[in-house]
Amino acid sequence: MSPLDHNRPRGKAYWRSLDDLADTPEFREFVFREFPAGATEMLDSGERRQFLKIMGASLALAGFGLAGCRRWPKEQIAPFANRPEGRVPGAPEYYATSMELGGVADGLLVTSFDGRPVKIEGNPEHPVSRGGSGVEAQASVLELYDPDRSRYPMLRETDSRHQSSWHAFETWATKHFDSLGNAKGGGLAVLSEATESPSVGDMRARVMKRFPRAAWYEYEPINTDHEMAGSNAAFGATYRPQYSFNRAKVVVSLDSDFLLASRAMVRNTRDFAQGRKRLLDGTSTRLYVFESAFSLTGANADNRFAVRSRDVSAIAALLAARLVPDAAASASAREQSDRATPEVLGLDAAVLDQVVSDLKQSRGDSIVLAGPRQPAEVHVLAALINEHLGSVGRTVRYTPLPDATQSVPSITSLTKDLDSGRIHTLVILGGNPAYDAPADLDFAGKLSSQRLKSVHLSIYDNETSRLCTWHLPRAHYLESWADGRAWDGTWSIAQPLIEPLFGGRSPLELLAVMEGGDVRAGYDIVRRTMSESAKRTDFEQAWRRTLHDGFLAGSAATLMRPDVRRPACIAAVESIWQQWAPAPAGEMELVFVPDTKVYDGRFANNGWLQELPDPMTKLTWDNAVLAGVEAAGRLGVTTGDRVRVTHGDRQVEAAVCVMPGQCSNSVTLSLGYGRPHGGTIAEGAGFDFYALRTADAMGFTTGAVEKISGHYPLAQTQDHHAIDSTAGKGTQARLPSLFREATLQQFKDNPRFANDHHHTGAHAVHRLSLWNETNLEGAVYAWAMSIDLNACTGCSACVVACQAENNIPIVGKDQVLRGREMHWLRIDRYFQGHDPETPRSVGMQPIPCMMCENAPCEQVCPVAATTHDKDGLNVMVYNRCVGTRYCSNNCPYKVRRFNYFDYWKRGPEREMGLLHVKPDYYTKPQTDMHPLRRMQMNPEVTVRSRGVMEKCTYCIQRISVAKIEAKNAWVKMTPEQKQRQPRATVPDGSLTTACAQACPAQAIIFGDMNDPTSRVSDAFKGARSYQMLEEINTKPRTRYLAKLRDPAPVGAQEAGSAGHEEPNHG
Amino acid sequence: MGRYHYVFPKWSNALLPALCVTGLVAPLYLVFIVAYGFSPITTDVGYQPVQPVPFSHQVHAGQLGMDCRYCHNTVEDAAKAAIPPTQTCFNCHTQIHKDSPNLAPLWESYETGEPMEWIRVHDLPDYAYFSHAAHVSRGVSCVECHGRIDKMEVVYQQETLSMGFCLECHRDPEGRVRDPALVTQLGWGFEFDEDQRREEGRKWIERNDLDPSQNCSVCHR
Repeated sequence: MSPLDHNRPRGKAYWRSLDDLADTPEFREFVFREFPAGATEMLDSGERRQFLKIMGASLALAGFGLAGCRRWPKEQIAPFANRPEGRVPGAPEYYATSMELGGVADGLLVTSFDGRPVKIEGNPEHPVSRGGSGVEAQASVLELYDPDRSRYPMLRETDSRHQSSWHAFETWATKHFDSLGNAKGGGLAVLSEATESPSVGDMRARVMKRFPRAAWYEYEPINTDHEMAGSNAAFGATYRPQYSFNRAKVVVSLDSDFLLASRAMVRNTRDFAQGRKRLLDGTSTRLYVFESAFSLTGANADNRFAVRSRDVSAIAALLAARLVPDAAASASAREQSDRATPEVLGLDAAVLDQVVSDLKQSRGDSIVLAGPRQPAEVHVLAALINEHLGSVGRTVRYTPLPDATQSVPSITSLTKDLDSGRIHTLVILGGNPAYDAPADLDFAGKLSSQRLKSVHLSIYDNETSRLCTWHLPRAHYLESWADGRAWDGTWSIAQPLIEPLFGGRSPLELLAVMEGGDVRAGYDIVRRTMSESAKRTDFEQAWRRTLHDGFLAGSAATLMRPDVRRPACIAAVESIWQQWAPAPAGEMELVFVPDTKVYDGRFANNGWLQELPDPMTKLTWDNAVLAGVEAAGRLGVTTGDRVRVTHGDRQVEAAVCVMPGQCSNSVTLSLGYGRPHGGTIAEGAGFDFYALRTADAMGFTTGAVEKISGHYPLAQTQDHHAIDSTAGKGTQARLPSLFREATLQQFKDNPRFANDHHHTGAHAVHRLSLWNETNLEGAVYAWAMSIDLNACTGCSACVVACQAENNIPIVGKDQVLRGREMHWLRIDRYFQGHDPETPRSVGMQPIPCMMCENAPCEQVCPVAATTHDKDGLNVMVYNRCVGTRYCSNNCPYKVRRFNYFDYWKRGPEREMGLLHVKPDYYTKPQTDMHPLRRMQMNPEVTVRSRGVMEKCTYCIQRISVAKIEAKNAWVKMTPEQKQRQPRATVPDGSLTTACAQACPAQAIIFGDMNDPTSRVSDAFKGARSYQMLEEINTKPRTRYLAKLRDPAPVGAQEAGSAGHEEPNHG
Repeated sequence: MGRYHYVFPKWSNALLPALCVTGLVAPLYLVFIVAYGFSPITTDVGYQPVQPVPFSHQVHAGQLGMDCRYCHNTVEDAAKAAIPPTQTCFNCHTQIHKDSPNLAPLWESYETGEPMEWIRVHDLPDYAYFSHAAHVSRGVSCVECHGRIDKMEVVYQQETLSMGFCLECHRDPEGRVRDPALVTQLGWGFEFDEDQRREEGRKWIERNDLDPSQNCSVCHR
């Protein structure tokens, strides 16, 4: 009997989805038929005859195609008339730039071919990015080439809008602003996105100088208002906390998703992954998360507790009371705080004791942090606890944010001023307030007032643009000069890589028009700001250095240690207990979260992000009402059922998605979907929950959810490509061998746990091969990859990076529903534990091609389209492939993807009826790829056509280039040098894949395992290294490092030890 | 029908002529397809488009003895041997033949900054990735693929540039490698006999540790 057999009667220990857990027919169907629809039609003779008829006809037609006289059309070469110095046609160039989002700039490095930016990466030299990047930055290059971008200024006159020109706008603006200038700007207002840009600050001062009576507002739907308010209360000034997760031994997250929904996500993830390495030395390192939604941070927690977001403030107060004497509840609040018993909060009695004792034990090495949804009071208490435990100055520091504006108060006062008629000219710089402003302000209604002159600068002609007098196309950040402040305050520069494609302008340039001065160009503005601030004689040198690096060295904000004001803490505790009340039965909490893909909605027209599976729900192309298993049972709904969400007199009809681990008294609503005028990709995607979000409850509120009739198909990828090595039998026995993990104690007892017989499933590892193995002797390189599951958080930046690098198409919702998504790299997400309501933990496992040395795919290809090369890579020769898909069928890891329909040319399809596409989808003539989309293509990678199998190549284009360059340099060496270095080698670390490059956690290591000193060789030697499905002797080159966790013995963990419930693990 | 039910029915006799015709025509058709498929028409050997300016490689590279790299200056460092910018022409032609009507399109490009539109002669399929630098720096001369450009008045494609052509050399590079310093000496080596030529090639293969790959991945990405 397998040692894991005793698990079975209790249900599954690892599961991909609720369907998997319940072993529903739908899941079995996915496992049994890899390509669920249409794959077995050929078995039916009637279908087959029809198929042969069509094939015969197309063969006959193909004959006509031969009748050309050249194999391909005449091609022209258009060299520069005067080539800039150093420019090499067809060779990549790299520029440092930055992208500001939500007031924080990410340092980026952009690859450009022949003047076309094609790939975004984190800037390795930038102090915050250090090479890592998030999905938004990775995908932003697609936005640049979006055919839906606005191309002309639009002018609205009474009821109609028509195309206008920049010239017409400038004529109007000069006249209008001149007359405003005479009134000193009375009645003028500017609404900006959150920005820390020094140049915008400088332009703002100049505009205000011309219009002293004008008003400036800022609004960002995903904001840190509560954090700022908490900081103001606690310190008397606005500070931004800077956490060092790498040094923290205990982290307590109070509803904070700092690993994904934070603008410091890249830094936090890297630091957190670094901190987890402490487990390898046997040191306890713990992350506690209290949250309602199942966030990515919760998935990475050692102990996660699903509680209402509203109860988190009570938990914060209880923690503070037990840690800090000053924060004890006063007599008046005592009554309330006594009501907050563990049962009422939905926690085990021992949980808070455990958290408190852990925090006390690691004084100075702990972090308590509150999420942006939580009210200011919770932020105050978090700051207080950190200070009291001595963490400030060690794991928590503060940087000042003197100019930060709170969004909601700002837009509320703007709305009031619009109402009172004080404002008659409104200039909106970016953003989309008509869509995402708090619903109770009715901002859209105010904006459409006829007597208001409004100007909206935006990349898309969006919901707000339609209501404004003028819409102006905005230049993309890759097209314009700008700057911003990184998370740590580093002054980061954005420089253009391409001329504005549609003549757009940046906010700086629009402000210059308002100012009416002589300096109008973005370059001059940014340069002036920096030169005035730097006041250096050698400015030219500093400026060149800044452009090269992408940031001004040493410009980070000073780290400070402000003191928490005790009266503020006492007031915070009072206020928490005044407001807190136990949840009445039947009340449902609505929690608003930024979407993990489209952010606040601004990326809704980005196909890469739409098709990216959400890290937790694995949902593509939509958002949904995320409800817990128990809550879904109560409501009588299942995934895809329609529900009505009500908050006061506002309601939204949406579809529900059942999410394990979601707090049973609350539902999660992600923002940014349901855009009425979002563009062709965004059209019809998801539901707009901004309609329920009011100014007084931007984080969470209470409401009701009820079932209504109807079904809405949700394209979740969680059951796709399930690894099933033994055809449905014994998958459960095998799962611990796919994803291997252990607790700290188990690891201490048996450091080689990842390779013990429990994990290999007690299957003998066969070393005898059925066929002649590929002869790799004498190979110079042996490329290999190690993925550290202990570092990987599952953020999915690698998935988008791979898509951008390798010209991977999007397929559309309809095709995703059929399991045809094309991502070469997927992230398998396993829930662990027997209770779907409270999964004990979550496993995230990125799966690229395993590059098996004994590749099963190669054995079955009838045309040798997939073969081995000397470096040990399993290569795919697209031109040989005839599309039998045998290889995919025989791939035990399910990493091969088949291009069914020339997805590049057809574009994504979204049809609401389940599995119905527009009838002409298959038959309509294929137009060529949109010329704009073609500009994004990486010229180093073949654009595959339909009928061809494709898969991860380990970024072979990068390998080829590195090898050629190494050899070229070597050949040019003198004989003496050659003697010292007898063969050309690619130095370790100089070559990496797109996924490994993007990974903010640095979980992926790529290199040459023939080189015993390489990092990947080191990783393979480690005790945690294991090969997935080693027992079938595929000899994979991609290997994993097993995950370690350090759960405290409380809560869900009590049901059994973590890992896989082996009493004597190892 | 009776016991003959498995024999062809009578009406099938009428199909016999059609069958004979097919039997005769099909082999011819096959021969045609194969011949057509491998003919210079489909492999483009001899393709010689008319360029917007009658630039003569024979004059520049042959008679004047200009080095290939004077114009195609990225060839040693980059995958692409860049077609020179208009500026390169006017390094000399502001002095020489300045008023030649043949140069009119060049002058126009020079003055407007608009690129010349040359017609590509040697065109590989987009799924084949060839690097000039990888070949030139290791001693594969221009002449191996492009032929005696220095003798062509108008450039044409001399070799098939098919996969078979590439593999021929990747399998047996000896007769095609030389001192990397001599790659642009298109006339070099014609005086050698086969053995001498191979001897020379072997020397450089050893010295530069050359081992041309025959793996798909070397050209296809």
